Amino acid sequence: MNVPLWTIPALPLAGFLLNGAVALRAGARRAARASEAWRAAHPDAAHDDDHGGGDAHAAHDGHASHGSADDHGSGHGHGGAALPRGQRLFHGVVGVASCGLAAVAAFANLVPYVKASLASPEGIAPVVQHAYLWMAAGGLSVDIAFRLDPLSAMMLAFVTLVGTLIHLYSVGYMQEEEGYGRFFAYLNLFMFAMLTLVLANSLPMLFIGWEGVGLCSYLLIGYYYDKDFAVAAGKKAFVTNRVGDFGMILGIFGIISLFGTADFSFLDKARHAMVNGGSPVTVYAVCLLLFLGACGKSAQFPLYVWLPDAMAGPTPVSALIHAATMVTAGVYLVARCSAVYVLAPDAMTLVAWIGAGTAVLAATIGLAQNDIKKVLAYSTVSQLGYMFLACGVGAFGVGMFHVFTHAFFKACLFLGSGSVIMAMHHEQDMRAMGGLAPKIRQTFLTMMIATLAISGIPPLAGFFSKDQILGAAFATGHTVLYVVGLGTAGLTAFYMFRLARMTFYGPFQGTKEAEGHVHESPATMTVPLWVLATGALFAGFLGVPAALGGRNTFVRFLEPSLARVPEHEVPHSTEYLLMGLSVAVALVGIGLAWRWYGQATATSAVPSAAADAFYRKTGALGPIVANKWNVDEGIEALVLSPFRKLGTFLWRGFDALFIDGIVNASAFLVELTGDLVRFFTTGNVRNYALAFSLGVLAFALFVLVR
Amino acid sequence: MTFPFPASDLLVILPELVLTQLALGILLWATVVRKGREATLAWVSIASLAAAAVLIPVAARLSGPLPRAAFGGMLTLDRFSIFFKVLVLLATAVTILFSLKFVGTSSYPGGEYYALLLFSAVGMLFMASGTHLVSIYIALELMALSQYVLAGYFKRETKSVEAAAKYFVLGAFSSGVLLYGISLVYGAAGSLDLGDVARSLAATPRSSLLGVGIVLTASGMLFKIASAPFHVWAPDVYEGAPTPISAFFSVGPKLAAYAIFARIFFVGFGPRAGDWAPVLAASAALTMVVGNVGALLQQNVKRMLGYSSIGHAGYALLGLLAYASGTDARGENFGLWAILIYLAAYLLMTLGAFGLVVLLEAKGYATESVDDFNGLSKKNPLAAAAMLVFLLSLAGIPPTAGFVGKYFLFSAAMKAGWPSLALLAVLMSAVSLFYYFRIARAMYLVEGEGELRWREEPAVAAAVAVCVAGTLLLGILPQPFVALAKSCLLP
Amino acid sequence: MDVSLALFWAFAAVAVAGAVGVIVMRQPVHSALFLLLTFLAVAVLFVVAHAEFVAAVQVLVYAGGIMVLFLYTIMLVNVRRQAGEPYLHRQAGVALGVGLLLLAVVGGVVLGDARRLADAHAAAPAARLTEVVGSGVAAGNSQAVGWLLYREYLLPFEIASVLLLVAMIGAVVLGKRTMEKFD
Repeated sequence: MNVPLWTIPALPLAGFLLNGAVALRAGARRAARASEAWRAAHPDAAHDDDHGGGDAHAAHDGHASHGSADDHGSGHGHGGAALPRGQRLFHGVVGVASCGLAAVAAFANLVPYVKASLASPEGIAPVVQHAYLWMAAGGLSVDIAFRLDPLSAMMLAFVTLVGTLIHLYSVGYMQEEEGYGRFFAYLNLFMFAMLTLVLANSLPMLFIGWEGVGLCSYLLIGYYYDKDFAVAAGKKAFVTNRVGDFGMILGIFGIISLFGTADFSFLDKARHAMVNGGSPVTVYAVCLLLFLGACGKSAQFPLYVWLPDAMAGPTPVSALIHAATMVTAGVYLVARCSAVYVLAPDAMTLVAWIGAGTAVLAATIGLAQNDIKKVLAYSTVSQLGYMFLACGVGAFGVGMFHVFTHAFFKACLFLGSGSVIMAMHHEQDMRAMGGLAPKIRQTFLTMMIATLAISGIPPLAGFFSKDQILGAAFATGHTVLYVVGLGTAGLTAFYMFRLARMTFYGPFQGTKEAEGHVHESPATMTVPLWVLATGALFAGFLGVPAALGGRNTFVRFLEPSLARVPEHEVPHSTEYLLMGLSVAVALVGIGLAWRWYGQATATSAVPSAAADAFYRKTGALGPIVANKWNVDEGIEALVLSPFRKLGTFLWRGFDALFIDGIVNASAFLVELTGDLVRFFTTGNVRNYALAFSLGVLAFALFVLVR
Repeated sequence: MTFPFPASDLLVILPELVLTQLALGILLWATVVRKGREATLAWVSIASLAAAAVLIPVAARLSGPLPRAAFGGMLTLDRFSIFFKVLVLLATAVTILFSLKFVGTSSYPGGEYYALLLFSAVGMLFMASGTHLVSIYIALELMALSQYVLAGYFKRETKSVEAAAKYFVLGAFSSGVLLYGISLVYGAAGSLDLGDVARSLAATPRSSLLGVGIVLTASGMLFKIASAPFHVWAPDVYEGAPTPISAFFSVGPKLAAYAIFARIFFVGFGPRAGDWAPVLAASAALTMVVGNVGALLQQNVKRMLGYSSIGHAGYALLGLLAYASGTDARGENFGLWAILIYLAAYLLMTLGAFGLVVLLEAKGYATESVDDFNGLSKKNPLAAAAMLVFLLSLAGIPPTAGFVGKYFLFSAAMKAGWPSLALLAVLMSAVSLFYYFRIARAMYLVEGEGELRWREEPAVAAAVAVCVAGTLLLGILPQPFVALAKSCLLP
Repeated sequence: MDVSLALFWAFAAVAVAGAVGVIVMRQPVHSALFLLLTFLAVAVLFVVAHAEFVAAVQVLVYAGGIMVLFLYTIMLVNVRRQAGEPYLHRQAGVALGVGLLLLAVVGGVVLGDARRLADAHAAAPAARLTEVVGSGVAAGNSQAVGWLLYREYLLPFEIASVLLLVAMIGAVVLGKRTMEKFD
C-alpha cells in the first residue's frame, strides 16, 4: 500500500474541520435559542446596551485563585446539559476515525520503512516527500515537505497510537460535557499540528506544528473557560511558551544563518561541520536558543511552571498533550538537532544539568502534592528532565527511548487517574480517596502496571529506558549527574507508590455518600487503559541492552537520525552493578512510601484535616517542598515584579512624558496635513482642475529643470 | 474592399467581440424583459463575462503563439494582457453580483446598467492588450464614458449626480491632457505604435519636447489610477457613487489603467526611464502620504476606502519604479510581477471590503459611517471576521494577500535603489493601521445600537467568501501566484 | 515668413481669442457664438496644415451639427444669464497664473524643440498620409484619410463606434425625463 505522507496530518485536519463546523453550527443554534428565550423573558430589554460588557472581566483575576486550583478539580459539566446522543456519536466517530485513519496511514508507511531500515546495517535514507513549494525568497526556499526517518518514524508510531487511544477514551470521559464537539475539534486539530511537527522536513514547518500544538494546548487548558483558574492556567501556559518560542525563532534564524538552509539537510552539513564561518552567530548560541524553546515546550527549569497548572484542562488532554506527546516535542527538537549540539559540548553540558536539576526538583515537589493529577504533572516534568539529561550526556537515542516508553506508562497513569477522578465524581484530592482497588479493578490493575513501570522495576518499560539513561550518564563520566538521577529514581518510586497507596489502599477517606457512588468506567475508557498498560509492560523489550543479552534494537534503529557520539564501553559487570543499584533504590523508595502511608490512618472524614505522613516525617523541609520550592514566588520576585516596576516606570515616566509627547506631536502633524488635504479636497470641480494643472506644471518644470 | 488583416486577427479579439455582441443583446433584451425577471439580465451579464473569460484561452490557443500582434500592431495578445483581462472580467462580474439587489430594488432599469458595465469591460479588455496609443486611448475612453454614465445612473440621488458630473468634467480634462501628451510624443517620436516609439526614443537624443509629452501622458495616467496630485476626484466620486459602482471604480478601471500605464511606460517610454522615474517617485511619495493621512480623518467608510485606495495606488507605483530600474544580478526583473501580485491581492481585498459594505445595512441604507460597524462581531461574527481579514490584508499584516503583495513591492523598491521610498511606504503602512483598525475596533470593541442589518444576498456573500478565501490563500501559499505573475511579464 | 505661417498665427490667435470669449461671456448664446468662431478658426488651421478633409469635417460636424444642437438647447432651456454668485471664481487669479505658466512652459518647449526635431528627422506628422497619397492607392487627401481609417486604424475606428453607442445610451439614460422601470 502506498499512502503519501501528507495524508497523515491531513486526516485529523479534516476531522477538525468537520467537527468544528458541526459544533459551531450547533453552538450557534443553541445560542439563538437561548437568546430567543432570553428575549421572551425580557420583552422590553431590546435597547439595553449593558449586556456583553461583563465578558471582559471573566478572566481578570484568575491569577489570584490559581493557587487553590488543586482542590477545585476540573469543573464538571459546565454550563449546561450534555449533547444529544446523535450529535455525540457524530463527534466521537469523526474524532476517533480521523485519528485512527491517520494511525493506519502512518503505519502503512512505518511498517515497510522500519523493516527495511532494520534489515540494512547502516539504516536507509530518509523518505522525503515534497508536497508544495511554500515560498522562495532569495536563496532561501521553504517547502511543505514531509520526512520519514527513524526519528520521525518512532515519534509517528507512538503519537498516532496513543493519540487514537486517547480519542477513544475521551468518547467516554467527556460524554457529559456540553462542549463535546468543541473538545473533539480541538483534539483533532492538536493531532494535525503534532503530526505536522513530527513529519516536518524543515525547521519553519516544524515551527508551524510547534505553534499549532501550543495553540491547542492553550485552547484545551482553558477548555472550562468559565472557570477562572482554567483561564489563568491557559494564559500562564501561553505566556511561558512565548518565552521559549522567542528562543526557538531566533534559533531557527541562527540555523539559517549558520547553514544557509532551514530544511533538515542542515543536519548533514552539521555532521561534516560545514558551518558558515562568516555568520555572526555561534553554534553555541544557536544551541542555547533552541534549547530555550525546548525548555518552554517540554517544561524544563525555569519554564516548567505552566505544566502543573495545565492540569486544569480535561484529563485526556493532560494525558495526550501534557504527558505523552506535545511536551516531548522539546526533546525531539534537541534530538533532531543533535548533530548541531555535538558541535557545542558546553551547550550539551548545560542541557544535561538543566535536565537533571529539573528532574530532581520536580520529583521532590511531587512528593508532597495531594492532587492526583498534580503528582503526575510533576512526575512528567521530572521524567522530561531525565530525557534532557540523556540528550545532554550524548545519549540521544536513549533519551528518545525514554520518550517512547514514557508515552505509554504516563498516558496510562493519566488516563487511569481520569478514571479514578470519574469514579470519585470529580474529586481529585487523594486524601479523600483510599481503598479504591476492589471497586475499580481494571483501573487499579492498569495503573499499578504503569506505576511499576515508571518506578523502574524490571522488566517493565521504564526500567530499560531509565536505566540506560543512568548508565549513559555514568559511562560518560558525569558521576554527579548519575547520582542525581539515581536519587530521582528513588524519589519517583516514592511518590508514585505514595499515590498508589493513598488512592487504592487503606480505608476510604471520603464521605459515605461518595463511597457509594464509586463505579468502574465504561469500556471506551478501560480498553485504552489496557492497551497502554500492555505498552508499559512490553515496550521496554524493544531496547534491551547488550548486557542483558539484547541488541538494543530501538537505539540502533534511531542511530542514522542522530549525531554519532563516541561510545564509552563499560564492562558488563559494572552495568549489572548499576542496574542492581537503581532497582535497589527504587525498592527503597517503594518500601518507604509503603511504610509511611501504610499506617496513615486519618480518622477524620474531612480531607484537609487528614494528616499527611510527609509533613510528619520530613520536618522543616516539608512545607518548602509542599510549596514547590517557592519557584513561582521566586519568579514573581525576580522576574515579574522587577518587570512590573519597570513597566510602571516606563508607563509613568517614559510613556507619559516622552512617547505621548511624540504621539501628540505626530497627531498634530497629521492634523496639519489633514487640514492641507482638506484644503485641496474642497469638493469644487474648479479647484480640482486647478490642482490638476498645478500638478502638471510642477512635474513639467521638474523634468525640464533636471 | 477586402478585410485588410489576416482573418485570424479576429480570433485575437474573440472575447471582446463576443462580449460586445452579448452586451448589445442584453440592451435589446432589456426592452422586452418582463416585470420581476430583471435579475435574469444580471445573470446573463455574468454569464457573458464568463463566456468572455472562457474565450480568452481559446483565442490565445487559436490565434497562434503568444505574444500575438494583431490589426497591424494596434493590439497584442500576450500573457500580460491575459492576466489583466481575467482580473478585469472578475471585477466586473463581482460588481454585477453586488448590484443585483441594489438595482433590483431601485426604480431604475437594470438593462442599460448591466450593458454599460459590459461595455466598460470591453473597453478595459482592449486597454489590456492595446499596443498602439490610438487604440489604447479609444479603449480608455470607451471604459471611461461608460463609467461617467454609471456614476450618475441613479440620477435622483443628488450626491450621485454630483459625483458623476465631477468625474465627467475632470475625466474629460485629464483625457485632454493625456491626448495632448500623446500628440507631443508623436511629434517627438514620429509614431504612435509603442514599439516604434521605443525604437525612435532609443535612437534620438533627450529632448524637452519628449519630456513634456511624457509628463503630460503620465499626468493622464496618474489621474486614472488616482495618484497624487491628480487624485482629488477619487474620494468625492467614491463617496457619491452607488456602492457597487464605487467598488467597481476602485478596482476595474484602476487595473486596466495600470495595464496601459505599465505598457506605455515600459514598452513605449522604456528607453527614457531615467526621465520619468523621478516623476513617478515624487508622485508615489506624495500619493502614499496623501492617501493614508487623508484616510485618517474620514468617518465615511466609502470615502475612507477611497483614500485608502489612493494610498494603495502609491504602493503600486513603487513597483513601476522598480521595474524602471531594470533587472537584478540574476537577470530577474523584479518590479512588474510584484505589481501583478499586488494588484491581484488588491482586487480581492478591496472587492471583499466593499462587498461587506454592500451587505451590511444600517438604518435602511448601506453602511456609510465607521460607527455603523459598531458591535458587528456580536451580531454577525462571520461578517466581522471576514471584514477583519480584509482590513488585515489592506494594512498588510500576514498571513494575508496584502502582506505578500506589499512585501514583494517594498523589497522590489529596495532592490531597485529606492530605499527611502520603501521606508516611507512602510511608515505609511503603519499609519494605515490606525484607520483600518478603527473599523476593527468598532466591530469588536464597541457596543452596537442594534441597527445593523444583514441583507440576505447569498450571491454577494458567496463573492465575499471567495474574496476571503483568495486573500488568505494568496497570503499563505503565494508561490503559485508568484510563478504565475512571473510568467505574465512584459517583454 | 511665408503665407501659410502668417495664416497659422493669425487664425491661431483667433481660435484662442474665441476660446477666451467662450469663458468670459455671461450670455450663453454669446459663449456659443464664440465657440463657433473657435471651431471655424481651427478649421482654417487644418487647411493650413493641408488636412483638407479634417477641415471639412470640422466645419460640417462641429460648426454645423454640434453648434446647432448647442444653440437649440440654449434656446429650449432658456438660460439667460449667469446670475447670483460671481461668475469668475475666487481662484481666478491663481488659475490664470498657473495657466499662463503652463502655457509658457509647454509652449516654449514645443516651439523650441519641435522645429529642431522636425529638422532632425523628416518623419513629420503628415508623413504617413503623404506616403499613402504618394503610393497612388488614394487619389487625394480625403481618400487617403479613408484609406488609413478603414485599413490601418480599423480597430480603433470600430471601438470608436461602440464608444459612440455608449455615449448615446448614456445620453438617453441620463436625459430621459422619467426613468421608471417598465414604463
